[in-house]
Amino acid sequence: MPVRKFRSVEAMPPPPPRAPLDPQNLKIACDLSALAVGLRPRRFPPGLHRYRTVEEASRRRERWEALGE
Amino acid sequence: MRVLAAFARHGVEYVLVGSMAMAAQGLVRATRDMDVFVSPDEGNIERLKAALREVFHDPAIDEITSADLAGDYPALQYVPPQHDYWIDILARLGEAFRYSDLESEVVEVDGVPVRVATPRMLYLMKKDTVRPQDRLDAETLRQRFALEEEK
Repeated sequence: MPVRKFRSVEAMPPPPPRAPLDPQNLKIACDLSALAVGLRPRRFPPGLHRYRTVEEASRRRERWEALGE
Repeated sequence: MRVLAAFARHGVEYVLVGSMAMAAQGLVRATRDMDVFVSPDEGNIERLKAALREVFHDPAIDEITSADLAGDYPALQYVPPQHDYWIDILARLGEAFRYSDLESEVVEVDGVPVRVATPRMLYLMKKDTVRPQDRLDAETLRQRFALEEEK
């Protein structure tokens, strides 16, 4: 494959999609997620959190992702 | 995968949605959560708790109740003791989606049947949410699976 150059990461095309329902897909996602956790460990408040709406849960999730609280 | 294998062993009625379902449908990316839609009936929630207890030794699992999921708290986030990811447990999404409404299909991974939402279902669930990533996902799904744009 030839070398391709980009001016920014944003300009790089995403990886090609994989075949739907290929059994490897979930395993790759799990491995990739484990790698991401290893590269940038974050800690979230353990336990059970209850929300009246999914939007409320999303806001909390965004705070966790932004702050790693 | 340990959680999904435990769900299968305990006969939990669930559908995988969110980023992990996108991955199963071929749109793979890293994520720190797993989203599952569950049937909120009492028997199923007891099976769900038994499955989670098999993977995590955590008294917080006892706090998951059918009454919450079927009532005022249809969205639960469970963060296991190791703190580095979480599981979203959903029983309904606004007034539009309940467990019984979901279209799903099964993929078998290393002998474990995993029930995942169809691309159309994922598109419908993501297209009107407030989260920018969800709207991007919806558009990606629509293009990848040649789905009709729905209002």
